[in-house]
Amino acid sequence: MHLDRLWLSDFRSYEAAELVPAPEGLTVVSGANGEGKTNLLEAVAYLASLRSFRGAPGEALIRVGAPHAVVRAEVDRAGRRLLIEAELRPSGRDRVQVNRQALRRTRDLLGSLQVTVFAPDDLTLVKGGPSARRQYLDDLLVALHPRHDATQSEVERVLRQRNALLKQAGGRATPDVVATLDVWDAKLASAGETLVAARAGLTAALSPVAAATYEQVAVSAPKARGAVRLAYQPSWDGPLLEALAAARTDDLRRGVTTVGPHRDELAAWIGELPARTHASQGEQRSLALALRLAGHSVVTGRLETPPVLLLDDVFSELDPDRSAALLAALPAGQALLTTAGGLPPGARPAVTVRVEGGKLLD
Amino acid sequence: MYAAPVQDLIDELGRLPGVGPKSAQRIAFHILKLPADDAMRLARSIDVVKRTVSWCRRCFNIAEGGDDAECDICRDDRRDPTVLCVVEEPRDIVAVERTRDFRGRYHVMQGAISPIDGIGPEQLRVRELLARIEGEGVGEIILCFSPNIEGDATGLYLASLLKALPVRVTKIASGLPVGGDLEYADELTLGRALEGRREVDA
Repeated sequence: MHLDRLWLSDFRSYEAAELVPAPEGLTVVSGANGEGKTNLLEAVAYLASLRSFRGAPGEALIRVGAPHAVVRAEVDRAGRRLLIEAELRPSGRDRVQVNRQALRRTRDLLGSLQVTVFAPDDLTLVKGGPSARRQYLDDLLVALHPRHDATQSEVERVLRQRNALLKQAGGRATPDVVATLDVWDAKLASAGETLVAARAGLTAALSPVAAATYEQVAVSAPKARGAVRLAYQPSWDGPLLEALAAARTDDLRRGVTTVGPHRDELAAWIGELPARTHASQGEQRSLALALRLAGHSVVTGRLETPPVLLLDDVFSELDPDRSAALLAALPAGQALLTTAGGLPPGARPAVTVRVEGGKLLD
Repeated sequence: MYAAPVQDLIDELGRLPGVGPKSAQRIAFHILKLPADDAMRLARSIDVVKRTVSWCRRCFNIAEGGDDAECDICRDDRRDPTVLCVVEEPRDIVAVERTRDFRGRYHVMQGAISPIDGIGPEQLRVRELLARIEGEGVGEIILCFSPNIEGDATGLYLASLLKALPVRVTKIASGLPVGGDLEYADELTLGRALEGRREVDA
């Protein structure tokens, strides 16, 4: 799939802007820091997920002083044209349309446009806590099938209810608390098992691909360490319902749910060593790139059309060798890239756009 | 800051469900501009509703009268006392009544289990429901809750509580809207409809 055209009005720093990227190959957005390069990619990604990949709240995406923002894009999906429009409002829900038809639920938009985002802080994927890695899996699951979004929000909501109950109980297991906990346990177990089965299945599919992409982007003698391996590690053994029952006393005492999909880990090894704690900074960067590329490849394989690649200022964080390796490893399809400096040698942009003072210049 | 009476009004309106600070302010200024008659009519209807309407002592639907009031449905002898349809709110009774297919009686839980909102079984009319099952010779309980997380949880809770009693417990089916198109159904609803499929009598 590719983006034919993007229009912004009152989105972030842009009063009005129009971008026509190359349908195939690299579109480079250059400009000094703070000019609003990332905002362009953020707008594209917003149409894919209805949230900011920078984790910004909705109202931060609306230009200061404007009543609302509009992001509109023309997308080509295997020859089918989609006009996707989102109106962002400071309060209340966004209004979303596809081909001028209003969507009843914003969730129905998921899947119309798909993107793979490479962000400068992707290193946290390897180096940071487990929540970044769970988010990585969950985002990919939604890209593979929108139904996973419903499962994820159910797990989240049941957890919030269960934790609220645990806090209110104040450590006392009265008959009422026990009876209601039974109910939340049953709901968390059924939604949680579904989510975890999907995450584990995805991890199994990702692991060999991540190993192959790591070999492509790792520059310093990758074979010396051995292959990259991923494994999904649940925070419990056996059926989740039994694990919740076993953890109940502990949960009541601590006032939080201590087992479940929200405590799981996606573990990564390079050879025999855990990547999070034992790999060098350079290896961790390569692995982060490999994880993004692997996700992109798995989604491409399943959907039979590659998501749009969004590379936000990635070369600023990579040394020249790794930059060149990433460029060489980039799969076919459309890619939008922002950069404040130059491009690594070997980069052949199809279209270059400059951002200056909130305007796009050819 | 507004004059104290205006600020009081804004604060009171802001306590209403679904009314945020901005809306509260807008409604307050609307009321300020109203002719005195219109404003007094609003005040009077609030006053009248609070004085003359209370909960049905049997099913906790809304009922006219004092503390021992009974609602129209509970007073109606033609309704089948052996089947109880359990709902969250009085407005759900109105929805079920519109079907004209249900001839039994109701029991309003007055909420759904939701710890986030501080609502547990003790805030609901659970004890009253149990008392009615024994006292009124109820043979079937129909759980009729919204198909969301809180509604499901309330249904599960009641189902496990009622297991010990000699009463049949059923739950309304969930699935596709009549007159809708299959292709427009979301996968969750369609999934539930598949789960709840039935043998076809031919």
